[in-house]
Amino acid sequence: MMGSLAIWIKGTPISWFVNHYAWVWPTCETLHFIGLTFLIGTVGVLDMRILGIAKELEIAAMHRLIRWGIGGFIINLVTGILFFFGQPDGYIGNIAFYLKMLFVVLAGVNVTIFYLTVYEEVEKLAPGGDAPFAAKVIAAVSLFFWVGVIFFGRMLPFLGNSF
Amino acid sequence: MMDFLIRVEHSGFSTWVRGSGSVFSYPLILFLHTVGLSMVAGVNTAVDLRILGFAPRVRLAPMEKFYPIMWWGFAINAVTGVILLAASASTIAISGVFWTKMVLILLAVVDLQVIRNRIFRDPLVDKRPVPMNDRLLALLSILLWTGAITAGRLIAYVGAGAAENGITTLFYFKG
Repeated sequence: MMGSLAIWIKGTPISWFVNHYAWVWPTCETLHFIGLTFLIGTVGVLDMRILGIAKELEIAAMHRLIRWGIGGFIINLVTGILFFFGQPDGYIGNIAFYLKMLFVVLAGVNVTIFYLTVYEEVEKLAPGGDAPFAAKVIAAVSLFFWVGVIFFGRMLPFLGNSF
Repeated sequence: MMDFLIRVEHSGFSTWVRGSGSVFSYPLILFLHTVGLSMVAGVNTAVDLRILGFAPRVRLAPMEKFYPIMWWGFAINAVTGVILLAASASTIAISGVFWTKMVLILLAVVDLQVIRNRIFRDPLVDKRPVPMNDRLLALLSILLWTGAITAGRLIAYVGAGAAENGITTLFYFKG
């Protein structure tokens, strides 16, 4: 049974665009994985440095890479919205989709806490400097949430049985 | 050859991976394949961006410590990739897109080693900007991983691998 939200979405030009051209969906999937690579790659190396791998790296200097991760996130937000508009019945009511979105939000809350609490201290760390314990916890939680986002993204067709 | 591929695909293990319905079979392996991707292609992309000059104040030499992470990612994906191949051997092993992906990954891994030898093992690393020729290795690396990801995604849509999806060509109108 399709809810009224799904029916409305199906009538939008965006939904038509995603479904009318067979190349749109695989192209968006490809871009979604490339976005993932940029996001997890740049955020991941910063998290690993905070956790103590390659401590000789200066965190303030590494932080410039994060804009590429934000770029990856934007690519994935846009392609993700296209997926949702293309096949709303695959996502609405799908527990894996709700958990994936929850983990994206939790990763966002975590990074907000990072900037509001420990970032100022971490940014001043000299090469070789050990990050405070609180920062390490936040970095580990960041990796956990992003891997969780990948997990529930991959589970979309399996846990929800929607596709 | 086809007999062999079909035997592999019909083996007990492949059948379990493909059709057991357990979250620990096909879904878990796909998930691990994506985690491996983010470790090898993701971390490599971050290293490439630094080499290209986008975070110039980051010292390069310590970044070599990320190589084991990338190799672990590669190892996870080699193992999970072989399992995914075995599960659908008769279609994927004859897919041109799949072999394109394999060639791109091989080139990306060779490039990663060349980057190690030419850039990280350069006695002048961090004492001068990375020479333009060596920066091209990093650009090539991003292009090769992007290509490998694209080919990997398209296995399910183009050529023999698409047969399972019932898709014959990407460029038809559904409308």
